[in-house]
Amino acid sequence: MIPDFLLRALVASVTISTLLGLLSPLINVKGLAFLTHAIFHALLFGAVLGMILGLLLNNLSLVMLTAALVTVSIVVVIAELEHLGFSPDSSVGIVASFVAGLTVLGFGILYKVMEGRPYYPLGENIVSYLTGELFLVSLRNLETLSIAGFLILLFLLVFYRDFLYVSFDPEGVESYGGNTRAYLLVLYVIVGATGSLIVQSVGLVTLQVIAILPGAIAMMITENLRKVVLASLGITLTVQVVSIGVAYYTAIPPSGIATVLLGVIYGFLLARR
Amino acid sequence: MGVKMEAVKAENLTVTYRGYVALSDVTFSLEEGTTLLLLGPNGAGKTTLLKTIAGIHREYAGRVLVFGKEPWRARENISYVPQSHTLNESVPLTALEVVAMGALYRSGFLHRKIPEEIEEKGTRALEFVGLPGIQDKLFRNLSGGQKQRVLLARALISEPKLLLLDEPLSALDPSARAEVTGVLRKIKEKRGLTMIITTHDINPLLEIGDRVMLINRRMVAFGRPDEALKDEIIKAVYGPMARAIKVEDKLYCITGDFHVFKRGGGR
Repeated sequence: MIPDFLLRALVASVTISTLLGLLSPLINVKGLAFLTHAIFHALLFGAVLGMILGLLLNNLSLVMLTAALVTVSIVVVIAELEHLGFSPDSSVGIVASFVAGLTVLGFGILYKVMEGRPYYPLGENIVSYLTGELFLVSLRNLETLSIAGFLILLFLLVFYRDFLYVSFDPEGVESYGGNTRAYLLVLYVIVGATGSLIVQSVGLVTLQVIAILPGAIAMMITENLRKVVLASLGITLTVQVVSIGVAYYTAIPPSGIATVLLGVIYGFLLARR
Repeated sequence: MGVKMEAVKAENLTVTYRGYVALSDVTFSLEEGTTLLLLGPNGAGKTTLLKTIAGIHREYAGRVLVFGKEPWRARENISYVPQSHTLNESVPLTALEVVAMGALYRSGFLHRKIPEEIEEKGTRALEFVGLPGIQDKLFRNLSGGQKQRVLLARALISEPKLLLLDEPLSALDPSARAEVTGVLRKIKEKRGLTMIITTHDINPLLEIGDRVMLINRRMVAFGRPDEALKDEIIKAVYGPMARAIKVEDKLYCITGDFHVFKRGGGR
């Protein structure tokens, strides 16, 4: 009999894999690896801010909501900076540095707040944002993950071709009457919202890896777009499920196993070249 | 004979780019069906002028009209072909998917699937540019000349009246240049489109050019090739070492690192 927590972890993995598996090739072709770095900082800052608010207001469900709002706001700022003519890496560099500074300040305040509240649920621990706690996914988490995940997936599928065109030739899209700015904004919000949604399950460190490597690996295996997307989906799902299985028997965090597995596959393919 | 419409009209056009003046005080008008060759050294403002006419760049003073409208209101009549090196070829799009882009954005915001009608038009556009049967090949795997022709097919699929081409011959070997020039000639002869082409090498394009404009942050000359390609004008644009020489009734413009060449004294 499969324990409930393991079943929930597996169901969560399917949602996570579907979102990241589809998003990863886009992140690679659009060159959004830097953006995932900014999302790392934004999510951490959002989580710290959310924990401060949650502890002060005795409502820890504010953590996820605050992290999501902060992250989406920050990716919108980055998209606007790019629209103003800053290069993607400059935009991310400027915003990420500023947000990193705010996070340090936030930690200072959080520690002060925590001194007065020695107990809070493990699932809301700030460390879970760094390492991920797939086995601690609750039924309520799963509901949120499924509903929000479905909505993000819908947007992603509907705009997928447009995102590819904007990545290929933004000026071409603009000159033929498309709204490049709007498409990029939607893409950045999708990346930010996906990050906020799954960060507590996979962790910040692994989020960056799973967002980039499956797409990169798929593009090394095949050139055909349909196959790239399918391979990316397959790789993400397989790695997630395998890491949950290994984690169950070894008590090693699944996010760490997923990161190592993807790194090994990528390294192997690179060596074969 | 009917009166031809004014395809492009610019009056005292001054274009700024991120705060600095990229091009100042440009005034010219171009009749429908005319081909204009736009010449000038690197950084002269050729691409800026092209993007302004295309409606991509809107930071300007003065006036520019395309078929009597502001450029961004005349987009259904304009097709812009960028320099091929500006494209992100890591995106695995097929030739047909690239061509379809030109028609998809004329209507609607979402394009999950390419409609069959656009696929057929795209196939015909590829045939017109001499590339039948390459619909399913990846754009990035094509040769330089083929890529440029796919971009021309993309520009043609929306049936524009004005074609704006940014350095269509750059980074191409001589045979690919001949292929692309052949397609441009075919577009001029069979479709009668108005074209504005920026180029560093005027030689292969002179046969199709009705007008030449030389710019260097401002308009230095505009007119028929034999009027615009004069020694003093070439020097004003490319510096004192540049010159125009005539050998056996053929005009050569020596500009330092490349040559501008005109046959038979021009049109």
